[in-house]
Amino acid sequence: MKRRNFISSFIIGLILPFIMPLVSKFQASPLVRRFLRPPGAKSEKEFLDLCTACGQCANVCPNQCITLLGFEEGLDQLATPAIVARSRACILCMACTQVCPTGALEKLPMTEEGKKSVNMGKAVLMEDICFSYHGRTCGACYRACPLPGKAMTIGLYEQPTIIEDACVGCGLCEQACIHMPQAIRVIPRFEIEQNEASKS
Amino acid sequence: MKKSQGQVLLGISIVTRASVLAILIGLALNLKYLNWKNGYNLSRLVGLAAGEWWKLFYEIYDGFFSMFGDPLTIAQSNAGMTWSIRIMGVPFTDPIAFLSVLLKNHHIEVGFGLGLIIPLTLSLTFGRVFCSYVCPASLLFFSTSRLRRFLLKFFYFPDVQMSRGSAYGVLCGGLVLSYIFTHGVWTHILPYFAIGQTIFHAIGFGTLSSCFVVILGFVLADLLLGNNFTCKYLCPTGQLLGFIGSKSVVSIKRDAADCIDSCNACTVVCHLSVNPKVDETKNCSLCGECLIACPTKCLSIGVRP
Ligand code: SF4
Ligand code: SF4
Ligand code: SF4
Ligand code: SF4
Ligand code: SF4
Repeated sequence: MKRRNFISSFIIGLILPFIMPLVSKFQASPLVRRFLRPPGAKSEKEFLDLCTACGQCANVCPNQCITLLGFEEGLDQLATPAIVARSRACILCMACTQVCPTGALEKLPMTEEGKKSVNMGKAVLMEDICFSYHGRTCGACYRACPLPGKAMTIGLYEQPTIIEDACVGCGLCEQACIHMPQAIRVIPRFEIEQNEASKS
Repeated sequence: MKKSQGQVLLGISIVTRASVLAILIGLALNLKYLNWKNGYNLSRLVGLAAGEWWKLFYEIYDGFFSMFGDPLTIAQSNAGMTWSIRIMGVPFTDPIAFLSVLLKNHHIEVGFGLGLIIPLTLSLTFGRVFCSYVCPASLLFFSTSRLRRFLLKFFYFPDVQMSRGSAYGVLCGGLVLSYIFTHGVWTHILPYFAIGQTIFHAIGFGTLSSCFVVILGFVLADLLLGNNFTCKYLCPTGQLLGFIGSKSVVSIKRDAADCIDSCNACTVVCHLSVNPKVDETKNCSLCGECLIACPTKCLSIGVRP
């Protein structure tokens, strides 16, 4: 009798957490917004396997750029950290990488070398709307880039050119762009990974 | 009048739980402090940007953290929620967080594993004390059980009896979910994690976390289904810690000579359905309620014989 009671209770308990996937189906349509992972993040799959959603990275970010996702991106990203570059980009201070307990974010030194080893995504420029390519000298993005001359160079009339290999995807250029909508934006690393996977 | 051991323990437990809650709120406020410290580093500017109250807050935090060294670094050595937290650089890891990560990965970061030391030592020595002295959710459930007691005077609510197997069921279900999706699903399963998230979202980001609904669900279960229903039958952490601490060094003791055969006061009052009358100690969180309830004061807390 006691064992039967235990087993039936066990089954009730086992089912309870599975209400969540059902409930999350009723959410409003997901916000289509690009977000980046904090610096030092491993490849998306590894990152999601390791991140415990503890929020420590968001807690120490002096820039308040990390938010924790809710249901909007689905259950498999619930409560994981995200950076929306256009509203606030990462200044590459590396504080978050120092505290991550599980190694979802790799520890990176707060040096120039550390900065260069980050890979959050790649910036792309839309020349057709960029002010500088239309006779209005701007160059705001270049001024914001933490790796000026390396990740981005600037030419005549402040026309920016991104050097893809050196761009770390911090998003500071996207935040700084004075054009609405932004003429330069960062494609998140996981999106690039997905694209490559679907190509091959 | 001299306070009995039970009353002292109850008092301590309320103070410690309130401090944990204060720490969680403080950590969320840390976010604002860090931002201003990094951006302005000047209380006058904070006052201009955010107002006099925030200026005061900034000055208090600055003064407090400056006592220990460089305030920015010190403030950054405190982070997290009850699930995985770092206080002055000392890591604490929830055993369930450890299980959940272990299941998905073969490699565990050293610091993450070391964070288990304090919680495990605590449970091995004192049993399930986390539940009555640390868990911020238990403060909520403590108040809910008082509310339930009051409402029972006017209404009828059932008292559902189950087996504790359900908590193990939730543990397994949660582990399966976290394996399929992400460890973040625990935010909507563990009561104290949900509270941590809600506080963090509300203060840090100014948004209402969906965890709020979960907390509401737990409170309703406590109110309508039975006294401390969540802690007894749903929360996997409490169950796991009770299991780990079932042979704890310190436990509740009964002086059988003084115990009255017909009395049942301790068993009735225990909010975790432990039965001290038959010398059951598993799942006891040393809250001290039965010590107060016992008419002959034959219960005490001490080192297990
Ligand atoms: S590197 Fe610094 S600014 Fe960037 S996300 Fe981490 S803590 Fe925030
Ligand atoms: S600190 Fe690490 S484990 Fe915690 S939420 Fe951030 S990335 Fe995830
Ligand atoms: S080009 Fe943009 S995203 Fe790339 S490093 Fe510079 S500021 Fe960051
Ligand atoms: S900030 Fe925007 S508009 Fe200005 S140069 Fe850069 S991309 Fe072009
Ligand atoms: S059983 Fe769970 S919710 Fe209840 S007090 Fe213990 S840890 Fe907190």
